[in-house]
Amino acid sequence: MKKSFGSHPLHAGVLGTPAAAPLMPGRDLVRSRTLENGLRVIVWPVHDIPNVALYNWVRAGSRNEAPGITGLAHFVEHMMFNGTTRHPPGEFDRQMEAQGGANNAFTSDDVTVYQDWCPRSALDLVLDLESDRIAHLAFVPEVIESERGVVASERRLRVDDNNQGLLSEQVQASAFVAHAYRFPTIGWPSDIQAWRIEDLQSFFRTYYAPNNLTLILAGDVTAADAFALVERHFGPIAPQAPPDRVRAREPEQVGERRVVLRRKAQTPLLQYAFKAPAAADPRGPAVSLLLSVLVDGDSSRLHRTLVEQKRVAVEVGGHWHEGFDPGLLWLYLTLPQGSDVEQTQSALDAELAKIAAQGVTDAELRRAKNMIAAAFWRKLATIDGKAQLLGEYAVFHGDPLRLFDAPAQFEQVTRRQVQAVAREILDRRRRTVGVLVPEEEEA
Amino acid sequence: MSAPTFGVKVPAHERIVLANGLTLILVPRRDVPLVAFNAVLRGGETADPAGKRGVASLVAGLLEKGAGARDAFGFADAVEGVGGIFNAGAGPESITVRGQFLARDQHLMLELLADVLLRPRLEPQELAYLRARQIELIKAAKDSDPAELIGIYGRAFLFGDHPYGRPVSGSERSLGSIAHEDVLRHRLGQFGADRLTLVFAGDIDSEWLTRAVEQTFADWPRAQRTVSKLAQPARLGKRRVLLVDSPGSTQSYFWIGDVGVDRHYRERPALDLVNTLFGGRFTSMLNTELRVKSGLSYGARSGFARGSVAGEFAIRSFVQTPDTSSALNLALRTLGKLHDPEAITSAMLDSARAYVLGQYPLHFETAADWAAVFGEIELFELGSSYIDSYAPQLCEVSVPQARRVIEEAFPSPEAVAMVLIGDAARLRESLLEYGPVTEMSLREPDYAAARAFAGEELAFT
Repeated sequence: MKKSFGSHPLHAGVLGTPAAAPLMPGRDLVRSRTLENGLRVIVWPVHDIPNVALYNWVRAGSRNEAPGITGLAHFVEHMMFNGTTRHPPGEFDRQMEAQGGANNAFTSDDVTVYQDWCPRSALDLVLDLESDRIAHLAFVPEVIESERGVVASERRLRVDDNNQGLLSEQVQASAFVAHAYRFPTIGWPSDIQAWRIEDLQSFFRTYYAPNNLTLILAGDVTAADAFALVERHFGPIAPQAPPDRVRAREPEQVGERRVVLRRKAQTPLLQYAFKAPAAADPRGPAVSLLLSVLVDGDSSRLHRTLVEQKRVAVEVGGHWHEGFDPGLLWLYLTLPQGSDVEQTQSALDAELAKIAAQGVTDAELRRAKNMIAAAFWRKLATIDGKAQLLGEYAVFHGDPLRLFDAPAQFEQVTRRQVQAVAREILDRRRRTVGVLVPEEEEA
Repeated sequence: MSAPTFGVKVPAHERIVLANGLTLILVPRRDVPLVAFNAVLRGGETADPAGKRGVASLVAGLLEKGAGARDAFGFADAVEGVGGIFNAGAGPESITVRGQFLARDQHLMLELLADVLLRPRLEPQELAYLRARQIELIKAAKDSDPAELIGIYGRAFLFGDHPYGRPVSGSERSLGSIAHEDVLRHRLGQFGADRLTLVFAGDIDSEWLTRAVEQTFADWPRAQRTVSKLAQPARLGKRRVLLVDSPGSTQSYFWIGDVGVDRHYRERPALDLVNTLFGGRFTSMLNTELRVKSGLSYGARSGFARGSVAGEFAIRSFVQTPDTSSALNLALRTLGKLHDPEAITSAMLDSARAYVLGQYPLHFETAADWAAVFGEIELFELGSSYIDSYAPQLCEVSVPQARRVIEEAFPSPEAVAMVLIGDAARLRESLLEYGPVTEMSLREPDYAAARAFAGEELAFT
């Protein structure tokens, strides 16, 4: 549902095009401009349906938090829907929906992203509402209290009543000692109860300035019209001093960490979180391909060996957190009831050791490249996918047009490069292991 | 009422019915070099005898586990080796196989599709493992995803022995009892040319596909059995409660429902507008009460499942355990308010209309979207007007029509099934005020306890 938090919204990047595929359209259509106040605007005109997808990327996430105020970035995201000095709480959604628009938002470790999907006819209103909440956000005390309850409910849904969520929160908190990536994006329960209005105001002032935003529009609008509309609505908003950069650098992890949870449950869980590069790292395509070889689809290595052949897991998944700073490469396993976690762990370790020692085969690499290329095309088939990809490349790679180079970059990755990242990343000393051991219910 | 400024029309397409009854639909579209397919086989979970719940879902799962010359691994390698997607799944009234390939791989795509439909291996050892894995995945969902499971309990409790009450993917117990011969029987009885609609959309080679489908499927016989018409399920008429115990759960996940309306319901545009206003968007009455105004929940929504006969109308939300009664009361009161004569105004209808019209094109953006839509139109015999006339009809919906729909399709709060997954020790007492309470454990390997009391008046307190 809307206004969700997600620790990992940016899925491992979806790029790479087989040599035979046609050239990707779009490079010559995309236009970008930076307003005087520093707001970056990127437009991809596409006229297939009479709609526009708008993404407003704010460079603020749980990475910008501190002990005692964890979850604040996500809470500010919620408050962005709860009234400005010009519009009372609820008006944002009421006006937008009454003109045919829908919206959502998500917060991650790195960014907060606001999304609108509207008919072209509502674009003026949507930009008015979007700029209004950047310029005139109000923090109404009683609304803060009510919204605190909403976030607490969201936390119970995703973490407290969800064993996978609970375990990954603990693993992430143990994987980092210095960097704010250790904070759960939803916030620790006591912080959710303790945020003050001043915390919200200060966070908002610091990060919600035009020079800290990237605005993407994809859909039924010309670049000239889009720039004129954005200039009219966002142009008058004054820039702010750029926020302090995040200075914390996670020190090298020098030994395995382990978290064991005992919970009322039927199913044991096993998670690995390896230290991994940042999104913009040149090894990025090789990391995505490695992950794809490991867990993407029924023909992936870990699915085939652990789920189908050895049957020590019933489900295997993975994720690379592509953030501003070096993050984690995750593997998640769901085990059969009553199974021995140690046995699954040795089987998994053996597979990871093998890929580090022997690398991947040509067929595996071809498959991973093709899967990533096809996923890329599927994403480009919608205005939403276009807006999302442009934003990811603009924000995490510094240039939206790099999106169009990505297919070739994936295609160029060699087996040797994939093996090199496997060796480096899949290192026991740089991993955190999470285990959830089921406990019997009391009678 | 102003005329619609935009709407969605079914795109140019070809529809061919072969002599054996197979329906082929081709929807060319050249925006990206992708092709999408959707194969819909009428039948599905409700085609099987009661007591064999989950057969269709296992058959669907097995289709990808070896077909034609390929075993399970060979099949996965063939699909994923070229970056394809290939998914088979079962629903209450169909098995569907959907996927997407790069346009250059459409020959391989058709070969794989023909193999799974005409030559699935359905091997006993693959069945044994798929079945065991399905059972484990249900257990895992019980540990981590109560909000996802609640609809299964809701339908079992509401529909009882009606086929819509059956869990499509089976239960831990029912799956355990499914034998290889059940799978073979399903395939013999329910697979055949007359059951199949085959849709290809996107950057397709229409001429080649038409010829190839004719050649490949011309000799496929009709299914041995006919699809029997489902009985129209009966409305509840009174309130009853199912409590599914999940000790230690921090929240109560709830579902409040009754029998709604079917796919051919003549007032669909009005139904969509009213549901948008009641529980279909962020500013809906339900979400406003349970989230925006009270902060009780992360969200509350409502919706209709509409099959060949009436499926369920249901409200879903969740709330921390101590606030369960407040949230239930609020949900019921909001449902009651919907029945007030003044509940829906003309201004509200205008807002909902703009919303539905404004979002509608986003559902029809890709070849895969159209492949899905054409499959649905054929399955439920809806005709192109289901899409083409929708926007003009939406524009005509009046307040009296909306009122009539509320009385026809939305239950009274006095006559609903209420289902909760939560910590029973902390909820049991407080639920008695709503009606007779049936209790079961989330750990029970079946939904039989929910079904057993459906339709009975036995107070189980």
